Amino acid sequence: MTTRQVVTIQIDGQDVEVDASKPLVDALHRSGTDVPTYCYHPGLSAVGSCRICQVEVQMGEAPGRVVVACRTPISEGMRVFTSTDKAHAVRRECLEFLLKNHPLDCPICDKAGECDLQDFSFAEGQAEGRSSEPRRSLDKRKSLGDVIVLDEERCILCSRCVRFMDEVPKTPQLTVSGLGARSTISTFADRPLTGNYQGNLADVCPVGALTLKKFRFQARVWNLRKTPSTCGECSRGCSITNEVLRNNELKRIRPRYNADVNEWWMCDTGRFALEEHSLEGRLAGSMIRGEAGMEPASAREGLERVADALRTHGQPVLLGSAWLTIEEGQALVALAKQLGTEARFVTPPPSELADELLHTDDACPNRRGLTEVGMRAIDAAEALEAIAGAEVALLIGERIIETVGAEALAELPNTVRLFSFDTVALDVPAARAALGTPSSIERDGHWVNVDGHRGMLTIARPAPTDVATLIQNFESLSRLITPAETAGGAAS
Amino acid sequence: MVIVKRKELSFWERLYLPEVFQGLSITLRAMFRKNVTRQYPEQKLEVNEVTRGQPRLAVNADDTIRCVSCGLCEAACPAYAITIDGQETDRFIEREPERFEIDMLRCILCGFCEEACPKDAILMSDELELADFSREALVYDLEKLKRPVSALQPRLDYIYKLSNRWNSSSSSS
Repeated sequence: MTTRQVVTIQIDGQDVEVDASKPLVDALHRSGTDVPTYCYHPGLSAVGSCRICQVEVQMGEAPGRVVVACRTPISEGMRVFTSTDKAHAVRRECLEFLLKNHPLDCPICDKAGECDLQDFSFAEGQAEGRSSEPRRSLDKRKSLGDVIVLDEERCILCSRCVRFMDEVPKTPQLTVSGLGARSTISTFADRPLTGNYQGNLADVCPVGALTLKKFRFQARVWNLRKTPSTCGECSRGCSITNEVLRNNELKRIRPRYNADVNEWWMCDTGRFALEEHSLEGRLAGSMIRGEAGMEPASAREGLERVADALRTHGQPVLLGSAWLTIEEGQALVALAKQLGTEARFVTPPPSELADELLHTDDACPNRRGLTEVGMRAIDAAEALEAIAGAEVALLIGERIIETVGAEALAELPNTVRLFSFDTVALDVPAARAALGTPSSIERDGHWVNVDGHRGMLTIARPAPTDVATLIQNFESLSRLITPAETAGGAAS
Repeated sequence: MVIVKRKELSFWERLYLPEVFQGLSITLRAMFRKNVTRQYPEQKLEVNEVTRGQPRLAVNADDTIRCVSCGLCEAACPAYAITIDGQETDRFIEREPERFEIDMLRCILCGFCEEACPKDAILMSDELELADFSREALVYDLEKLKRPVSALQPRLDYIYKLSNRWNSSSSSS
């Protein structure tokens, strides 16, 4: 990375201090000037192929020249004009050429609403094309592997996707093939794309040419409520945006720019972790052991079962999930202290998809945070061993049943009293009660990633009504297990 | 306090019967006048293409739905009556609604959906009657909303006429 050199240039008559190591367009965007860009992406090299970022630049006494802002280095004393008649005229002409072959299928296109081309053609107000030639007709559904589908007609050949594949995951797979009006984006011999970063192609595409197969036609983007959050699929903790449709279904996860962690990107493991938050099979209330097996009950009844077991049996085993936030970790450590036991968290097996870019091999999003609050990491085998030797065991947090293993839990003898706080119900012979818990898009808190950066979770959709947060549950438990006279004594 | 002075009745008025017959004569005359009220369920209102009835979805002659589930009517709807989920199809037009619901109890018949529609798919029909025994039955789904485009053609011609009028007047001025 080049070092920052501050120079002063003039943008639309205003003196601005900018970083000369970046292209001019970056300075324009940072100073709040709205210059459209299609081929330029701050995370990729600039090629200046779309020419839409043209502005007028004057140096010294020379007359103004029109240049592409993404390929123009900044020099001291530059005077930039973004909204002169000349600048507008060249940009509008570029736009007309881009729209020459771009189909008018915005009502069908998934990009509509967040499309740069749509926004700028709306702003420039060129409602009618002057061309009488037919638009080029190409493949509208070209599959590029399992993740991405390409609409060749919509493509404006900005080559962002080609550069992304070359520069970010460093797996060059895409290229612009063909000449002139027959140019298309393609892979060698139409081989499917590979790699764990294909999903980013749909994000870098400035139009709706590259779309995600999983998101295709699922929702209109303006109906999605977007909430900043942190990815929980590995210890990198990429900053993400959760996009929820009509307040219940998580439809899309997109990376959110964070210079310290993931920049603009995220891996497909995190992007497609939508099933983790699916409402199907979700435990919306709680279940308690009745005569006919696990029966639905209120959260209060479930919690009382837990408290009864904690009161009558000593030395409970408290096992937290790796997805606990540091706030929940602290509350669990406090509860463990009250019970005279140790709070531990169960780590999932290392990921096989780990790479050098973002995905780490550690699947715990909050290993560092939980260790800092005083919890010890154990693996599933050690966790099972601890549970098998205990009278009471509490499995706490989302995905804990999955991490410890539902099959292994089913083999436990009936003498172990198992209680779970998970998004799914624990239905094994040893289970006495299963309480619902909010998933990571339904609660707030913080995770600390592998490098010590703190990632924030925010509530993207409300948890089911009869589901309390873990911290609320720990407080209620702590009250319920405190003998009445001691509680009175502490209050006086 | 208000003191109301009663009108002193004349002798003729105090006779009572002449006044009664005068009143009855008005009633009698009205019986032979032309009827102004309408016997509604038997006699329907005359509707024409200007009538903004309930919105309906046009189905082409080849049995394909015109709607591409772009969601613009859903966004334009001021009463939040419309809910749409899209899905992919094998047709050239790649997208069609999987779910298209209009809550007719919410619909205020404003016609914004028709105005927003880029595909002339949702049109204000001439259907005005709306009655059922439950609220759920009045949330119309795709099957209840589909109409052949021929049934909606007069309205379609009318909105084209309207938009042409606006376009031509703006270009001439």
